[in-house]
Amino acid sequence: MITFENIDVVYPNGFKGLSNVNLQINKGEFVAIVGLSGAGKSTLIRTINGLVPFTSGTLTVGDDVVDPRSKAKLRRLRSRVGMIFQSFNLVTRISVLNNVLVGRSAETPTWRSLLGWYRAEDKELAFQSLERVGIVDKAYMRASSLSGGQQQRVAIARVLAQDPEVILADEPVASLDPPTAHKVMRDLRRIQQELGITTIVNMHHLDLARSYADRIIGMRAGEVVFDGPVEEATDAIIEEVYQRSLTAEDIVASDSATQGTVTSAAAQD
Amino acid sequence: MSNRGTNAGPGSASRTEPRFAPDALDRRPVKPSKLGYNVGMLVVGIIFIAAIYGTGMDVRALVDLPASIIQYGQLMAQGVFQVPDETVAGYWTQSFAAMFESVAIAWVGTMVGALFSLPLGFMAARNMSPLPVYVVVRFILSVIRAVPEIIFAIAIMLPLFGFGSGGGGALAGAMALGISSIGTLSKLISEAIEAVDGGPLESSRASGSNHLQLIRWAVLPQVMPEVIAIWLYRFEVNIRASAILGVLGAGGIGSLLSTVFGARDWDRIGIVLVVIIVVTMLVDQISAFIRHRVIHGAGVRSGGGEPHDDDGAPGPGAGPEAGTTVEDDPAPKSARAAAGL
Repeated sequence: MITFENIDVVYPNGFKGLSNVNLQINKGEFVAIVGLSGAGKSTLIRTINGLVPFTSGTLTVGDDVVDPRSKAKLRRLRSRVGMIFQSFNLVTRISVLNNVLVGRSAETPTWRSLLGWYRAEDKELAFQSLERVGIVDKAYMRASSLSGGQQQRVAIARVLAQDPEVILADEPVASLDPPTAHKVMRDLRRIQQELGITTIVNMHHLDLARSYADRIIGMRAGEVVFDGPVEEATDAIIEEVYQRSLTAEDIVASDSATQGTVTSAAAQD
Repeated sequence: MSNRGTNAGPGSASRTEPRFAPDALDRRPVKPSKLGYNVGMLVVGIIFIAAIYGTGMDVRALVDLPASIIQYGQLMAQGVFQVPDETVAGYWTQSFAAMFESVAIAWVGTMVGALFSLPLGFMAARNMSPLPVYVVVRFILSVIRAVPEIIFAIAIMLPLFGFGSGGGGALAGAMALGISSIGTLSKLISEAIEAVDGGPLESSRASGSNHLQLIRWAVLPQVMPEVIAIWLYRFEVNIRASAILGVLGAGGIGSLLSTVFGARDWDRIGIVLVVIIVVTMLVDQISAFIRHRVIHGAGVRSGGGEPHDDDGAPGPGAGPEAGTTVEDDPAPKSARAAAGL
């Protein structure tokens, strides 16, 4: 369980990233965070693993209170919280397997890491993670030779290799084409259901959020302005979050029949 | 105009309708002023003329230049193109041996520089080291860079290790090149490190890596090809520098050159110059080829599969049992990838 209590984030330049956020995210939930760019979605996700330090309030992940000042504690926290990025953030010059093994860093002694002598059980875990996302056949290829969708699945495997309690995904499908975006979202959803990992995903495509998440959190100007199950996040509510009417930009044109009400809203505009 | 009308939504068409039809000329940008450029050119010209008069250069000597080039060129060509008898063949082998000593001095110097420049490069990279370390290392490096390798050789290394070809002089030359290489190499490497893509660093950090693990698996793989290219380029520079250091007594081709120059032995000078030029060009070409390979890879013969997206089903072929593990360090790996393997 993740709990935000009165969390504020003020960036060094004075910009207020989050203001007075109170949230409770339950274990095993799939949460989508929606909002316009600059609304604080990325900040919210990055406070959870301390990539962005919060400036006041209390944040707990599981039993641990997050302390942005203690590097050692943050590393231990990060080993339990995996993160997936919009631009995949793989090291493209090394092999897929070595990228996945970066996920074992926190559990690997530094000297082993430096020499690349990972333990057999770590390698086994890396292979199992690759099998789970269906690209184990690419294990020894350079990450740069993979397509975008494949690279994002390697990133998911890297996160799985951490054996995480929480997966954070920051716009994981924003740079993918619609069919691939659905594939990656299906992978995330399946993994969340199979392994019971709490999954928090930022997105700006409303139809993806509605078809894969259990719960939607809407953000505007660093504040949580909507929080409820998918069924409650009607077009009217989301327009309230966005402070504008929905457009075709807000959906992923797609092969699947999941667009429903948003399409009609877009057509009206 | 018609463009604007169709782009705007139907509701907003009236808003974008212009009140006055703009003149076609109104859309053209105003020609920017060239004043700054002209003043700049003028300043460059003034400095050029001032430099010539300030140093008292006798420009008229240039008139005699073509004649002297032909005269000395002929003298040297006579040495190079004569049919080599016993003694002349000896000159050639002596020159080649001395040149290879120079190349060896340059190689040892480059290795010393390479060894120290990698850790120092990380310490001098703003994104990798704490501010105090960064400031101190940057300062030390800039002091090293401010001292030319010739000064290192004359003031420190030659007195320490002794003069002359073979032994002391060669070691002195190599150390002088090594230390001055550290200055530039570390600086260039630190800049390569600062230009690294931050994404993999963030993901590595998010996985709980510590600083060393992050350097090893997120930074080194990104910078290693560039670092190798920087090292090789410095080797090319060091070959020239070691020839110059030889004139000061650090051994190698420079020592030979200063001996034959002292004797005004023009046909031997010709032979030495030809050897210097041929060997330097040869090493440059090889080095440039390797650098290109390391940076750009082998071109079309890349071994990796085509980037395509299957729908998640693991294809046939390599599974976990395939081959050995890939735990080598990034340098040979990128070289291997560059070779298309």
